[in-house]
Amino acid sequence: MRVLIVGGGSREHAITDAFYRSVHEPVIYAISSNANPGILRICKKTGGELIKGNINDPMFVADMAEKLSVDLVFIGPEEPLFHGVPDELEHRGVPVIGLNSKASEIEKSKAFMRRLMWKYKIPGRLRFKAFKSIEDALAYIEEYAESVAIKPARQAGGKGVKVIADIQAYLKKVKEEVKKKHAERIYSQIMARYRDIEDKILIEEKVEGPEYTIQCMTDGESVLPFPPVQDNKHAFEMEMGPETGGMGSISGRGNILPFITEEEYKESVKIIEGVVKALRKEVNQDFRGVISGQMMLTMIWGPTIIEFYARFGDPEAVNVLPLLETDMIDICEAILSRKLHKVKLKFRDKATVVKAIAPRGYPNRRDLAKGHPLIIDEKKIKELGGRVFYGSVNLVNGKMLTGGSRAVEIYAEGESIEKAAEIAEKCVRYVRTADGWALFHRSDIGSPISLKRMIELAELVRSVYTYRKSRGILGKYIDWIPGRGKIVYES
Amino acid sequence: MSGLIGIFAFDELWNVSRILYYGLLGLQHRGQERAGIATGNGKEIRVFSKNGLVENIFNEKILSELRGWYGIGVVSADPNDEQPILVGDNSKQIALVFSGKIFNREELITEYNLENTLRDCEIIAQCLLKEFGEVDDFKEAGLNVVKKIKGVSNIIAINNTGEMIVYRDEIGLKPLVVGSFGFDYGVFASESCAIDVIGADLKADVQPGEFYYLNQYTVEREQIKEPKPKYCAYEYVYLARPDSRINGIWIYDVRRRIGEILAEKYKIEADLVVGIPDTAIPFSMAYANKTKIPVELGFISTGRKIRTAIKPNQFERLIGVQLKLNPIKPVFRGKKVIIIDDSVVRGTTTKNTVSLLRNRIGAKEVHILVGSPRIVAGCPYGVEIPPKDELIAAHLSEEEVAIVVGADSFHWISNDDLVKALGLKKENVCLKCFGGE
Repeated sequence: MRVLIVGGGSREHAITDAFYRSVHEPVIYAISSNANPGILRICKKTGGELIKGNINDPMFVADMAEKLSVDLVFIGPEEPLFHGVPDELEHRGVPVIGLNSKASEIEKSKAFMRRLMWKYKIPGRLRFKAFKSIEDALAYIEEYAESVAIKPARQAGGKGVKVIADIQAYLKKVKEEVKKKHAERIYSQIMARYRDIEDKILIEEKVEGPEYTIQCMTDGESVLPFPPVQDNKHAFEMEMGPETGGMGSISGRGNILPFITEEEYKESVKIIEGVVKALRKEVNQDFRGVISGQMMLTMIWGPTIIEFYARFGDPEAVNVLPLLETDMIDICEAILSRKLHKVKLKFRDKATVVKAIAPRGYPNRRDLAKGHPLIIDEKKIKELGGRVFYGSVNLVNGKMLTGGSRAVEIYAEGESIEKAAEIAEKCVRYVRTADGWALFHRSDIGSPISLKRMIELAELVRSVYTYRKSRGILGKYIDWIPGRGKIVYES
Repeated sequence: MSGLIGIFAFDELWNVSRILYYGLLGLQHRGQERAGIATGNGKEIRVFSKNGLVENIFNEKILSELRGWYGIGVVSADPNDEQPILVGDNSKQIALVFSGKIFNREELITEYNLENTLRDCEIIAQCLLKEFGEVDDFKEAGLNVVKKIKGVSNIIAINNTGEMIVYRDEIGLKPLVVGSFGFDYGVFASESCAIDVIGADLKADVQPGEFYYLNQYTVEREQIKEPKPKYCAYEYVYLARPDSRINGIWIYDVRRRIGEILAEKYKIEADLVVGIPDTAIPFSMAYANKTKIPVELGFISTGRKIRTAIKPNQFERLIGVQLKLNPIKPVFRGKKVIIIDDSVVRGTTTKNTVSLLRNRIGAKEVHILVGSPRIVAGCPYGVEIPPKDELIAAHLSEEEVAIVVGADSFHWISNDDLVKALGLKKENVCLKCFGGE
């Protein structure tokens, strides 16, 4: 059995590791733009190798898959999906796990995703407006926008999302100015790079509540969910600072999070199943791979979709893949033969914490964060009970250089999230730079204070949405506007 | 005493001057004599400060001239407490706000070769500037300076190149909290109510001995001194707003517990209980709930809220009290009344109130309960408390005060009861002005 992994981050390191544990003892190859030391090490152990190259080039990846005569390709990140790498592989008859370009629209175009949810009336959908022109967006902001999220209409590596609570009338002007300037920035800078999408700016109603990710594997028909994981998007301590790809994540024992109920989890999975079904109808094509709901418990709906990933989350993959007991190759084969409904996933019952470590400069000045030599005491980290998953790191002449994004992710497991967090926190100090460039991480992730805050927030949100549910107004917006009368918004 | 705020936006699109202004409105009760704002735009710092209320000294024009994406603000109870302090020149500029009192002034003056006439906040600003000149690293300069300070010091400082440092001393006498707004800015403030007013989210207390460093690319948090908490008890009974949470404790909860303790200790046969607005209202409601004696609204204020106890001079205090307390006559006439006040400092306010109720309106009995212990000494850390010879509790017993103010009975709560209401360990509470440790 020969397997090819596409991608070179911590997520792909965790995926590679899951394949490495397979009883089928595959020879593992990887294609990545960086020489990821963790992936490289595993490839070598199995007699495979890591090939550096452009993972977004369908021809290159497919040529390589044929040359290496692999039996299976697993694609980690989203961009190769958007660029049609799975399409080319399928065309050549190479078995591939990764949503094809049409299905991956679910992540690429946030407007497509929202429209799909509204068209098929899937619960957990937020009100939104998509704009093709900046003039329309600015006019909308001026006239209507209150508390909103303003996003690039395309997945742009997590960049350019602004969420602005706009409640205090006395600060409205300050916020309106920021919203407008941000919309202009999305239009003229972030979206200017992408020519593969018509919608430019997305404005959604702002919601608040605890967030969680449910990662699922799918054969296009059935959906096989992993336990929920919570990612932390703020760059800095105390939930301050810009949005990142995720600075760390937690998962709880019993395959659930302490602030999510079993029922909410099931409800969330149902939403994802609904979306997969709708997607299948809409694209009218088979697809197979990973689909993840980045969700939030909101007052308006309970479980609500914030975004979709056509892949595992990073860092969320690093929480659950090490716990996976079911054989990764068996799962992939079930997907390829459309028999996923027969697979039952098994996980070890541990709480996990992942902490990302990034060089100062990430996420907004990756140029500053790039090129710093890293020293990692993996032996010490192992002694403490942690594990290192390599991310944006490039091995050059035996030196590990930072790539500008999250360099490594520390994984720890324990009997509780707090205990796992303590272990992860101890391990963090054994990652440093040789040139003294500052690294940062979030010490608050998984701490008792942070967990308490999430639980309190979840309780607040739950009390509101259960009230709405009991009144039969879940997902509806009922208002009375003086001079206009009663307004009911619903699909 | 003063109220501090600092806001740091990670995105230069923001103009924080108006947000600081509303934050200061939320802190106005901590100082009504002077206010100021300093903002930075990555190149230079602009400052404005003036005597008066926040609402009166700032206007649209000033706020738009103070455009910047990070900044600090201050309200002060001392008309001579000119802040924010701005030091340095165009290459290295620092602005700083400070609340507290330093005990090793001479040491710092000698070490950094400063003039000995400088105020505490100016000393710290100068030390910081000299260190910054030396080490050329704002975070390190900040760490070097705060490690040398002995005393009570909450500090928020910015420089002209987009950096901010925040420090709460290891005693943590004065409160300081941290919050954030979406992905956009971090905020530090003396009280959580300021964070509510600007619509940001409270995250935690800045711990005693904790230091924060912020720039656009990082927020670093370091515990640089072992916490030796001595939280100011006066904050809980009088200074802080009842909608604030400081040191993890809601002010309102403490005041409610104090009312309950008064109810347990002092069972008085009366027709009604009335709290002196605004601070003593929660005491009176809790007292009434516990004793089942009806609570009534007894006084209406005229004009804006004035913090009479911390007004710097007697005449202004008198004006404040008279405007604050117009009694609603039918509430009191012919009734046995329990009046609850938040503090009795000099006794003059109480005397005026009792005389009004008894002699002019015709209350049958007037009993006074006070939600704070006896204030018998000044504050070594700079909270505005009058000199000892003006403090009624330092000189008279409860019996004697009752007679002097013309009340049927008069009681303070004890220090131990206050500590009980706080739910803190006694060694972690500063009770110096109440004659304790």
